[in-house]
Amino acid sequence: MRNDWLIDRRTCLRGIGAALALPLLDSMGWAEEPAGAASKPPVRLGFMYMPHGVIMERFWPSDPATFLTAPPPQILESLRPVLGQCLVVKGISGVPIAPLNGAPHALELSTWLTATLPDTDKRSRVNIAISADQIAANYVGALTALPSLELATMPQTHKENQEGLHEAYYSHCSYRSPTQPVPAEINPRSVFKRLFQSREQNQGAGKSGAVAAADPLDRSMLDVVLGGARELRARLGNGDQHKLDEYLDSVRSLERRIFAIEHRQADAAKAAAGGGPKRSVTDTARIEVAIPEGDKRSEYMKVMCDLTVLAFQSDLTRVSTYIGSTPNGVSYPELGFTDEHHSQTHHNNEIVKVDKVARINAFNVAQFAYMIKKMAALKEGDGTLLDNCIMMWGSGLENGNKHTRVNLPFVIAGKGGGTLKTGRYIPDAKGNQGDLLQTLLGCAGIPLDRPIGIATKTLTEMTSG
Amino acid sequence: MNARSHMLPARFSLLMGGVVLSLSVASAAESDADAGAGLAAARATAMKTHKEQITPFITTYCDRCHGEKKKKGGVTFEYAVKHPGASSFRPLWRQAVANIKTHDMPPEKEAKQPSEQERQVFLDWVAGMKHLSPKDPGPFVIRRLNKIEYGNTLHDLFGVDPRIVTELPDEVLGAGYLNSLSPLLMEQYLMVANEVLSRILAPAGAPPTAVQKQMFGAAPTVGQDVKAAAREVAKSLARRAYRRPASEAELDVLLRVFALATDAGKKYHEALRLMLKAILVSPQFLFITPAGDVDAKRDIVPLGDHQLASRLSYLLWATMPDAELSALADAGKLHEPEILAQQARRLLSDPRSRALFDGFGAQWLGLDKLATKTFDAAKFPQLTPALRTAMYEEARLLFDSIVRENRSLMTFIDCDYSFLDGTLAAIYGLQETVTGTAMRRVQFTDANRGGILTMPGILAMSSFPNRTSPVNRGVWVLEQVLGEHVPPPPADVPTLEKQDQKKVASMTLRQRTELHRNDPTCASCHKVLDPIGFGLENFDAIGRWREHDESGGAIDAAGELPGAQRFTSPKELKRIIAGRTADLCSNLTGRLLAYALCRQLEGYDEIVVDQLADAVAKDGYRMQTLVIAVVTSYPFTHRRLTDQPGIPHAK
Repeated sequence: MRNDWLIDRRTCLRGIGAALALPLLDSMGWAEEPAGAASKPPVRLGFMYMPHGVIMERFWPSDPATFLTAPPPQILESLRPVLGQCLVVKGISGVPIAPLNGAPHALELSTWLTATLPDTDKRSRVNIAISADQIAANYVGALTALPSLELATMPQTHKENQEGLHEAYYSHCSYRSPTQPVPAEINPRSVFKRLFQSREQNQGAGKSGAVAAADPLDRSMLDVVLGGARELRARLGNGDQHKLDEYLDSVRSLERRIFAIEHRQADAAKAAAGGGPKRSVTDTARIEVAIPEGDKRSEYMKVMCDLTVLAFQSDLTRVSTYIGSTPNGVSYPELGFTDEHHSQTHHNNEIVKVDKVARINAFNVAQFAYMIKKMAALKEGDGTLLDNCIMMWGSGLENGNKHTRVNLPFVIAGKGGGTLKTGRYIPDAKGNQGDLLQTLLGCAGIPLDRPIGIATKTLTEMTSG
Repeated sequence: MNARSHMLPARFSLLMGGVVLSLSVASAAESDADAGAGLAAARATAMKTHKEQITPFITTYCDRCHGEKKKKGGVTFEYAVKHPGASSFRPLWRQAVANIKTHDMPPEKEAKQPSEQERQVFLDWVAGMKHLSPKDPGPFVIRRLNKIEYGNTLHDLFGVDPRIVTELPDEVLGAGYLNSLSPLLMEQYLMVANEVLSRILAPAGAPPTAVQKQMFGAAPTVGQDVKAAAREVAKSLARRAYRRPASEAELDVLLRVFALATDAGKKYHEALRLMLKAILVSPQFLFITPAGDVDAKRDIVPLGDHQLASRLSYLLWATMPDAELSALADAGKLHEPEILAQQARRLLSDPRSRALFDGFGAQWLGLDKLATKTFDAAKFPQLTPALRTAMYEEARLLFDSIVRENRSLMTFIDCDYSFLDGTLAAIYGLQETVTGTAMRRVQFTDANRGGILTMPGILAMSSFPNRTSPVNRGVWVLEQVLGEHVPPPPADVPTLEKQDQKKVASMTLRQRTELHRNDPTCASCHKVLDPIGFGLENFDAIGRWREHDESGGAIDAAGELPGAQRFTSPKELKRIIAGRTADLCSNLTGRLLAYALCRQLEGYDEIVVDQLADAVAKDGYRMQTLVIAVVTSYPFTHRRLTDQPGIPHAK
């Protein structure tokens, strides 16, 4: 029975709610995986985003019956070798955005993992909902060195505020709480350092100030500082208190992370001495990651995908979100044209623009395909890394030309540890974005204490069993 | 002016629309008391109109679809009409204004249609709605130092290179600042703290560095009170790092960290090292926090002097207050308006005030993204990093000269000088006279040059990667210079008539762009936008002068703006724009206030902008006056402690 061990944790979570942070772990410290869990690789959850929707007629397969045999549509071409591990789902509608109809691009990304419309009465501040990736991170994050990984290609500094909505909605899709967007990392070098500082600490990484190379007293020091912050909180006004709560939460996470790293090191030492549990679940050598020097977007995106694969392969995290591109000013010179993505999506069926958008779509899917193929080539347990992953690629708009959100484009890859039935095209899912997220989290064994955004059901047609 | 603002519903065209009300405020603003009386009168009028005309208007024309029962399109006036001054409903009213103006609402099929006069009353009332907002400075929630401020503060404290923070994520500054903290950022703060300590302190056992000696002093000798010595060190370190005196309780926390280290067998300096690290990850360092307790009984309080010192210093310098500001805060004098203004002047005259351009000016002019904007390299090979830097520097130096020389805001539009180096001079066609790599002041003889409208970097930012965009340039001038809001084109833009491709190929960009003005949907906005863009067509996508565009056709830079204002060249267009001094002033005042407050403006802020802009106008629109007006303003010097302001009830 897979994931039975989660029941234990669910028991301890009862009454807290999976959608909340886990303060309990402060006293528990490092979460131990129950005995026997190591025999079954964990399920990892990944999300990758592209804005502005797709050219529909070049994205959706023509017929479910010939999904695996007919040549794939132009945009999905790069997935051809791994279509058997994919699930293409049509019929997933987005969050209705009225009365914020003038903000399609601020909402396409921010509603993508929240399935929730921002609070329209407080639109100049961030107020939305915890996102699906962070719900997952709250649950499985305590089991790994990093609760989750958030990556992006572009800096999250876009300054447009459609409909008076806060700028952050334009460039953030992960929300730790309704009011706390999670920033993404855009520098592959920093990501690498952050993932592996605990391993490389003996090679002088301490000089660059890595957390793991920190003073052994750091955790106790943070504890004292946290106590001081609580005293400060007590004498602040309530608006200030809410802000300080973000600080308290972040310091607690940091303590946990330091503890996790120390714990890993202790494990590794035990393993090296020939005893103790082996936490690493992979059977293969760590993949190589070369960090490119130039500014070629495909190389940049590939290295971010590599880092995701590497983090999953080494079980450094089980949740990852990659904003492959953002809804503003992005162009793709390596495709041979410098036009900005957004300007081309309002194509009015002009064939030149339609072609360009389709090529941008195909380019983004190709980076996703690169990651999927890499995962499919890595052995893990009786199968591959991909078998134990749920990788979702998609967009928060259906058709960038008219800003429609009826059939959002989604490709799901990976079998989720046997929970997802792949190799299929489902042409009429009749669900919404919340339903989809809820279904995928369910497959990853994440219990929910409330629906995700507008969700009303689980999409059983996607799952096996 | 009104022809334009009717065309383009806007943040600040709302201000401009309220002509009657703002004039009464302006004429009454001689003294505070008069201003108060003027505001009270305006408020009474707005309340009366609300009761007698607006509520019936909503009931008659809107309620059936947007009332208590039906909320078509998610839109309802149910709550908004009960709380007319509440800023949370401002976007709803703005949308309503746009729909009422264009006759999109009520829908044509509805039998009951408001008369033109009724529509106008509605529009005027919304324009004057700000007068219903209660006096409110807005919140000043403890603010985290942004990436740049954090780096500069570390530099000022310890002499480390501010680039020590390079790996932190870039952030939106000013109105869109996301005052948020995440576990990732906290982890990075700890990493940076470690890095700082390893740079400035000697390794364990090694002799102390100079900085270390200065900060920590000598280790107490046998018999001396170690804890008392450590407490003294904590007190002085925290005073600087927290930018205010630390309370006894806060010092106790630091001493607990010190004890933690000594209990673990650390020597004096090593224990102080851990204490300093604790300071660097404390909220009092990472955020601007108030000293002392808040008075829980009060809703609105003035900023404490230390908080004010930080707010001022981070606004103008992007770094911590210096010794003089700190001393004035310690003496409890900084909040005195004269002293505050004098300090603002002093900060502006210091080179560190370039932070105001890097943070505010560059964002206003759109140049913060110049370094990374994609251009067609084959078409514009000259757009090297060096040229991009020179373009940015040109704008920065102009901004700086206007601030430092306390010039009129109009200088931004109509000045006859700029700052060039050899690279940039080539774009201006002045490569014969200006050479070398140093930026220097250059006087223009050609009146088509000079000012932000024709500055190469700015022209490049509003262009496509491979050509100019008259539409984008028009939007830029209206929004960034005049403070109007141009609504985005509808998503489903009707397809243009299929044009004979051969015919189109021989047309200039202007002739092709004009084609879409035949469509009434497009024309309403484009007849204002496009002429401005056409007037700038003599400048190519990177700002070089040209007589012909890429089709080979001659540039026709003539046009007409509403009010029969005709122009035939960029210099004449500039003159027309420069005539709208009050709009530029309102716009810049609003933008700088929002930047200074790190939030969007709403409700009562709009009244504040009116008052400040008015004061700036009276002093010849001078730049320093504008900055001082903002830093001495009510919302900059006060804060609301509660989450929501009181909502006035319509009687």
